[in-house]
Amino acid sequence: MLSRVADSLYWINRNVERAENISRFVEVSEAMALDCPPGSAEPWLPLIDACGDRELFDTLYPQGTPEDVVRFLVKEPKNPSCIVNCIAIARENARQIREVITTEMWEQINDLHWTLQESDAFWQLQPQEQLREIRRACQLFYGVTDATLSRDLSWQFSRLGRLIERADKTTRILDVKYFLLLPSPEEVGGVLDELQWISLLRTAGAYQMFRQAQQQGITPRAVAAFLLLDPIFPRSVRYCLEGISKALGVIRSSAVPGPPDDLECLSGLMLASWSFVRIDDLIGQGLHEAIDHFQSDLNRLHGLIHDRYFVMPTQSPSESSSDLACVPA
Amino acid sequence: MFTAYKPSKGYDEYFSGSAEPREALQPLISSLGTLGIEELNRNHAAAGMLLKRLGATFRLNDSGDKGTERILPFDPLPRLIRTGEWQTLERGLIQRLEAIDLFLADVYGDQRILHDGVIPREDVESSQGWRPQLQGFKPPLGKWCHISGLDLIRDGAGTWRVLEDNLRCPSGVAYFLENRRVMKRMFPSLFSGRTVQPIDDYPSHLLQTLRELAPWTNQPKVVLLTPGVFNSAYFEHSYLAQQMGIQLVEGRDLVCEGDRVWMRSTAGLEAVDVIYRRIDDDFLDPAVFRSDSMLGVRGLMAAYAAGRVAIANAPGSGVADDKLIYAYVPEMIRYYLAEEPIIENVPTYLCSRADDRAYVLAHLKDLVVKSVAEAGGYGMLIGPHADQAEILEFAAKIEADPRNFIAQPTLDLSTVPSLSQGELYPCHVDLRPYVLRGKGAWVSPGGLTRVALRRGSLVVNSSQGGGCKDTWIVEDSPC
Repeated sequence: MLSRVADSLYWINRNVERAENISRFVEVSEAMALDCPPGSAEPWLPLIDACGDRELFDTLYPQGTPEDVVRFLVKEPKNPSCIVNCIAIARENARQIREVITTEMWEQINDLHWTLQESDAFWQLQPQEQLREIRRACQLFYGVTDATLSRDLSWQFSRLGRLIERADKTTRILDVKYFLLLPSPEEVGGVLDELQWISLLRTAGAYQMFRQAQQQGITPRAVAAFLLLDPIFPRSVRYCLEGISKALGVIRSSAVPGPPDDLECLSGLMLASWSFVRIDDLIGQGLHEAIDHFQSDLNRLHGLIHDRYFVMPTQSPSESSSDLACVPA
Repeated sequence: MFTAYKPSKGYDEYFSGSAEPREALQPLISSLGTLGIEELNRNHAAAGMLLKRLGATFRLNDSGDKGTERILPFDPLPRLIRTGEWQTLERGLIQRLEAIDLFLADVYGDQRILHDGVIPREDVESSQGWRPQLQGFKPPLGKWCHISGLDLIRDGAGTWRVLEDNLRCPSGVAYFLENRRVMKRMFPSLFSGRTVQPIDDYPSHLLQTLRELAPWTNQPKVVLLTPGVFNSAYFEHSYLAQQMGIQLVEGRDLVCEGDRVWMRSTAGLEAVDVIYRRIDDDFLDPAVFRSDSMLGVRGLMAAYAAGRVAIANAPGSGVADDKLIYAYVPEMIRYYLAEEPIIENVPTYLCSRADDRAYVLAHLKDLVVKSVAEAGGYGMLIGPHADQAEILEFAAKIEADPRNFIAQPTLDLSTVPSLSQGELYPCHVDLRPYVLRGKGAWVSPGGLTRVALRRGSLVVNSSQGGGCKDTWIVEDSPC
């Protein structure tokens, strides 16, 4: 596979996953806001923090009204991570590798792109309906990918992009909301606003699965444990890290076995440290610090993947091992 | 439905001079009548939307801005050609390319045709497509033009003629294929009761042709070389690569080493055997052609000369694509094949010849003048549509550089009814069939019919208000 193609696959999926997450964040907040006192920006500004774009937002929208937050996250042209831009970037990457992805995948992302770019009827829908449509279109893209793409390297790089973005968003939303909902870090397990915690779980796309797994009710500790450490919930950090590790293993399998390189060391250590840990220890040592550490590890992981697979090899066949050129792609 | 339709004064392909439907067209005309103009218009709009959603879009050359991405306008009224007539055209196309190929082998080889004075040496060597670097070179299979798209027209009498030979990177085949898909989806009722020759196997024939160019291996690695995502034909490049299941590469994805071409992949370097290139000669290899090219691959021509990679079409083929050399193709057919051309040229005046030039300058207002090296409907004067200032300007250009111009009578291109502002209007058309030549030769059934959708316009190019139609090859005796 061409390095350029691997890069595009990775970014198509990161951007679709990002758009899907943001649409869920906003969709849940729209519903939540209707329960809040008028004019309160309570559920809104944390979303900006969760997306990590506070500085740009404050510059563009000094007033910071709820409408501003929604516009910024959904279609502000100057925000590269708004939903419309994420889909445009994903679609442009898909356009560059149309011969690699399936026609069905291309049609799905292209269709969504043109709906967002040109459909007046779409933008006249109720806001929550718009967001639901976007979320469903992104989920359909995954479904189509799962049902049509062969499990070759294209699949692995797609999965890698999707899971890295997902782990990033799950931890960010947890980090932002968790501390907002706790009066102080010392009061873990203290006063609980049921509605707010339900809203957090919904925002992370975890409400229903959490309920099924945790019969005894919502506690901050249980929510953190579920989103970070659940072994089978597909949006938990642990689950994502397992997928990332597996994908990297398959991608690397064509190379000669030997001592682990930086990329393998990091992905292995991350998986271990989020698999073999208890939630009480994490909370005891500081949940925010642990998430912060995870975020910087994730950034390093992305950097190593980029350097290893997306920057094009420049060695000529005479410099590399003699039979490497015969390895089928 | 056709009651208000007035055929043009030239040759209308649906109706004869007396406004009677042509024999083979009667069943289609009645199907269209059943459909009705309102539904035709409605499905026409839906078809445009579908093409956009399928991603059959191009970007204008001058801009990478997403806003300028658009479809090639699609007209739903098909153009019909009868099988018998088509078979003659197929033979004519194969004959013509055979002769052009022999010409290319000759001018880059012994140059018999120049020594025998059939074609003036200076006309060949002054061509922008002439690549002296290729003298003495023999391409794989001895063939030069593997994928060609010739432009055919019917004149006012309905006679088929060759208007241009596109031998470098003829485009449009993806629209030819996608138009049929859209046509079947949006207008299924028009197909019922008749057999239209299918075209879906074009990618199979194309892949087969490309694979045959690498006789040194049983498992050739074929790639399509594109200038990149900002090229206006990028959709077609990705579409063809996808249909054939081959890799789409840019110059930066390839590297030459040890007389071979390699592809930079995540697993290291992988050897490439055949390159279907969609970039011009000039940009192929900065070591041999334009040194400022960012699109090509340094060392590609050395690997090509060493016989370790095939390039389709062969570099240097462009010399036969020159509109001045075009005028000599009937002579090539007689010279190399000792046959008469099955499809005639359009009468052509060569401004490089003094007597032709005098005639052209005296009759500019009746003629179409073309710059020999330009394409896309650019650099041309349509005499009857030009004002005095334009005519004077062109006369000066011709005097300054006669080699660069040819002239042809203003042809009454045949017309086909087309949707224009919601009603049927006779629009001028041409036809670009695609000819594939590996070990054998194969002609696409039909081709891309381009249509001048601006009323009265003779220019079918997409850059100048042109669109396209589906082309149907149908049985001689319609049911």
